[in-house]
Amino acid sequence: MADKLSYDEALRKLEGIVEQIEDDTIMLDTLTQKISEANELIKYCEKKLRSIESEVKKTMNGDDNIK
Amino acid sequence: MKTINPAIPSIRLSEFVSEIEDCIAATFYGETFWITAEISDVNKKPDKRWCYLKFVEKEGKTISVEISAVFWTQGYAFIEKFEKETKQLFKDGIEVTCKVKVTFHKRYGLKLEVLEIDYAYALGKIEVDRQKTLDKLIAENPEMIRLVGEQYYTFNKSLVIPSVIQRIALITAPDSDGQRDFKQELENNPYQYTFHLSEFVTQIQGDKAHELILSKLKLIEESKEQFDVVAIVRGGGSQIDLKPFDEYELAKYVATFPIPILTGIGHDRNTSIVDLMARQEKTPTKVANIIIQRNFQFEQSVVDLKERLKDRVEEIFDEARNNIKELKRLVRASDPLTILKKGFAIVKRDDAILIDAGSIEIDSEIQIQFDKEIVYSKVIKKKKNGR
Repeated sequence: MADKLSYDEALRKLEGIVEQIEDDTIMLDTLTQKISEANELIKYCEKKLRSIESEVKKTMNGDDNIK
Repeated sequence: MKTINPAIPSIRLSEFVSEIEDCIAATFYGETFWITAEISDVNKKPDKRWCYLKFVEKEGKTISVEISAVFWTQGYAFIEKFEKETKQLFKDGIEVTCKVKVTFHKRYGLKLEVLEIDYAYALGKIEVDRQKTLDKLIAENPEMIRLVGEQYYTFNKSLVIPSVIQRIALITAPDSDGQRDFKQELENNPYQYTFHLSEFVTQIQGDKAHELILSKLKLIEESKEQFDVVAIVRGGGSQIDLKPFDEYELAKYVATFPIPILTGIGHDRNTSIVDLMARQEKTPTKVANIIIQRNFQFEQSVVDLKERLKDRVEEIFDEARNNIKELKRLVRASDPLTILKKGFAIVKRDDAILIDAGSIEIDSEIQIQFDKEIVYSKVIKKKKNGR
C-alpha cells in the first residue's frame, strides 16, 4: 500500500488518521480499520526513516575521505 | 718674494701656492659652513671609510658650479647613518645639506671636507617628493586610486583575495633573506598546505629596480589566470633604498594590477607608496603567514559547517523518531485491543457492534468480546444503568 509513498507523504497520511482516531465521534468499526492502517503506516515510516538515515550517514562519512 | 728669473720677475710655484694657502687659511681656517647641494661622482672606499665626491649646482642641465669634497673616517659614519635614517642610498643625484670646512693642500688643491650630514633635510625632501607622487597618482587615476581620510583605496586593494590561496607569484631578490624567509614560512606551515610558488627574481634596489619589478609584474599579468595572489617581498638585511617602491610608474601599476598584491618590503618605520597601493604586511614572514591563515580560516569554516551539518542531521532524525513515537503512542492508546486489556468489552450481535442497548431484546443472543475470549450469552434482564 504505502510502498510508493515518500516519507513525508506517509507521515502526513498517518497524522491525518491519528486526527480521525482522536475524534470522539469515530465509530468502533471504523476505528479498528483506522488503527490497522495507522500501524501499517507507522511501520512504513520507521523503515523508511531508518533507510534514509543510513543513506545520509553513508554520504556524510563518504565526505570524510575527501581531502 | 725671491726672484728666480731676473728677466721677468717671477716666484717659485711653492711660494705662490703658499700665498694662496695663506689667503684661504686667513679667511676659512677653523670655520665650518652648512651648504646644500647635489652630489655627484660619489666614490666610496668602505675599507678605508673614506668617500670622494663632488658638490654641484646646475643651471638647467648644465653644471655651473662644482667643487671636490671628501668624507674622511669621522664623516664617513654620517654616510652610513644617512642611509639608515633615510632608507636612501648616498649616491649621485641626491641633494644633501652638509657641514663642511674648506681645506687646501699644496698638491691636491682646494677641497671641502664633509663633517656632518643633516638627515632632517634629506628626510623632508624625500617626504615632499613622495607626497608629490601620491598627489599625482590620485589626480591622474581617479577611477583607480582614492584617498579617504588617511586611507588609500585602490583597485588592487578592492580585489577579493580567494578563500583558498594556492598559486603564488613571488617577486623578490635572488638569494635574499626575504626570499628565504617567505619560502621557509610557507614550507613549514603547520597545516601541511601545499602551495604552487612561481618565483620572479629580480633586483629590487638601485636605479633600475622599479623598472625591473614592473617588467616582472607585466610577465605575471600575461598569465594572470594562473595566480591567486602576488607577493612582493624583500628581506630585513637590505634596509636601505626604498626609492624604487616610491616610483610613480611602479606604484600606478601596482594600484591597477588585476591580481591582489601583498607586500612585505621589510621595514617598520617607513611605508612606501607601493605599500599604500597594495596590501601591506611589512615582512616576508608576515605575508606568508597571512596566506597560510587565510587557508586555515577556510578550512575552519568548512569543518564548522560539517559539524553543524552533522548536528542538524542528528536533530532532524531525532525529531522524526520522536514524532513517530508519539503518533505510535496515540494510535496504541486508541486501539480497541488496548482498551479491552483494561477490562472493557465489546458487545456484538451477529458480529455487528452494538452501541445502543435499546435495540437488545430480552432472550436474544449476543456476543461479548473480551481481550482474549468471546462469550456467547443470552439476555435475561435489562435495567437502566442509572446515569
